[in-house]
Amino acid sequence: MATNVYMEALSPTMEEGRVVKWHKKDGDPVKTGETLAEIETDKAVMDLVARADGVLRQVAAPEGQTIPVGSVVAVIAAPGEAAGETPTSAAQTKPSGSGKRDTGNVATAPAPVAVATPPAVAPADATRVKASPLARRMAKEAGVDLKLVTGSGPGGRVVKKDVERAPNQAAPAAAAAPAAPLSPVSRVPLPERTGTAYEDVPLTQIRKTIAKRLVTSLGPIPHFFLTTEVDMERAAEAREALNKQLGDQGEGKVSFNDLIIKATALALARHRACNAWFQEDHIRYWNEVHIGMAVAVEDGLITPVIRHADRKSLTEIGREARELADKARNRRLQPNEYTGATFSISNLGMFDIDQFTAVINPPEAGIIAIGSIVQKAVVVDGHLAPGRRMRITMSCDHRVIDGATGAAFLRTLKQMLENPLAMLL
Amino acid sequence: MAQRQLEVLNAGLVPYAEALAWQRALAQDRIDGRLAHDVLLLLEHPAVVTLGRNAHAGHVLEPQGVEVFEIERGGDVTLHAPGQLVGYPIVDLTGHKPDLHWYLRTLEQALIDALGRLGIAAERNPGYTGVWTRGRKIASIGIHVKQWVTWHGFALNVTNDLTQFERIVPCGIPGVEMTSVERESGNGNWAAAIGAVICGFESVFGVKAVIRDEVLGRAAETLSRG
Repeated sequence: MATNVYMEALSPTMEEGRVVKWHKKDGDPVKTGETLAEIETDKAVMDLVARADGVLRQVAAPEGQTIPVGSVVAVIAAPGEAAGETPTSAAQTKPSGSGKRDTGNVATAPAPVAVATPPAVAPADATRVKASPLARRMAKEAGVDLKLVTGSGPGGRVVKKDVERAPNQAAPAAAAAPAAPLSPVSRVPLPERTGTAYEDVPLTQIRKTIAKRLVTSLGPIPHFFLTTEVDMERAAEAREALNKQLGDQGEGKVSFNDLIIKATALALARHRACNAWFQEDHIRYWNEVHIGMAVAVEDGLITPVIRHADRKSLTEIGREARELADKARNRRLQPNEYTGATFSISNLGMFDIDQFTAVINPPEAGIIAIGSIVQKAVVVDGHLAPGRRMRITMSCDHRVIDGATGAAFLRTLKQMLENPLAMLL
Repeated sequence: MAQRQLEVLNAGLVPYAEALAWQRALAQDRIDGRLAHDVLLLLEHPAVVTLGRNAHAGHVLEPQGVEVFEIERGGDVTLHAPGQLVGYPIVDLTGHKPDLHWYLRTLEQALIDALGRLGIAAERNPGYTGVWTRGRKIASIGIHVKQWVTWHGFALNVTNDLTQFERIVPCGIPGVEMTSVERESGNGNWAAAIGAVICGFESVFGVKAVIRDEVLGRAAETLSRG
């Protein structure tokens, strides 16, 4: 038996589509899921995929031709089947009422693969299964043959809940025909449908690449995350007072970011266990504090390292951060200016991000992610009052930092920011 | 109901061929169910000219010195260069709306929303997919979809050198003038542009962004080291 390939609708309002490229030509063998051709509308191109295994025949729409939605553009014949035996001639339009609304779906004649014997409750038209796109997709993922599913939707249309119930329905049929080969669409069954406790799915090349190059650390490093909320009221007051004084002296202003760098560096100096590198066979606990500052500043992204940040004044940190930002903006940062950090800070506060998790930059053992300073109602002495709060999330490498160790560092950092005078001690 | 998640990967400067391989593989993973959520790849490309399925060779005027790729996205010819924020949403439209026109318009709306956050009033130009401001084009769109999973996406000019567009007839529209965030607002804050685009996606697509924050900007360094 052969399967017709229809022009599909890329949107419900689309009347016709243009074939821009054929990937297969007449006589080519095709497999379910393979791209046969590309169709285009506006600035969108969609792959027309094979819904059956077989041989492509009777390509009716040359590249560049516009075809009404629902028209037959080709036929997939069973292997060895002569073109003349196909029941449908090309360019014939699909029966009205079944085409345009079934976006992305094609009526298929029985595929040239063996299927289990249909149960007594088979739909009236065995060659055509009406189903919602969601149901079709779920059925495909679960390896459920739609022809074995009784539709409960309008006109016997198979809908989501029918497919959800389908395994119970399909099982007896499968048992009755144990020799029936698996349908080719059953290649990735959902774990919860296989009856086993879990399923191992191999990593694809792209997941490996991303694991290695974009999120290098998330794979190999056992991360855990700690979040705390900091009262920034006093830090804001201290910053205002400092800037007033600095402004009088003609010095550059201190930003919240500078305050956070300084507080983090001081807290790290007190919690050496968090100021460390994991080095495979040993852990290097640093006595120096070098802060990698991954922060968005005006006109760019900077990732400079503020060396010995615990020993620098706020104005020094601010000045250095600005200089390095300038260099980063002009792409003039030297390698020694962005390597060698012992701990990092990532700040997305200026983007209205309340809270996020940053990825550790190996070999460092930790990074903190800074969210926005948010005005919110807080309880002060039993009364609601406006307050300014900021969320800090620390990502820890569990091979170096334990929960309590990270929490102790975070508590010191919180105390520093909530009592900025402590930074002067 | 929990909000749909959108994983955002900020990848920095990535050669075109490599990013193309990434997005094709991510899309296939999404189709096959190995990738359980939508992804937005944000990146920049070294200067490159790409020809969509609707491209005319005559629209490439000066290909000297840049790579040229012929690819499966919709649309005509376009150009990428550092300073242009390129976004590749790998989105399963069956989880939103299986309608490519809806998707194109929503993508435009997300960018219009993002530009609004950057102080730029942008709009659609009926019949010309993309995002425009004061008669000039600021973002281009070209997508591909297979089994309702999208790839390719948009290119928003932020600080890129606009004279590079003289190499081509952008989008095959003769006489079209290109512009950038920097030119329109006087401020080419790259990080702000990224933040605005993420916020635009969140509000228009109704998703919650989960930002995989490589130590920002170091991605490019990692990539160049291999």
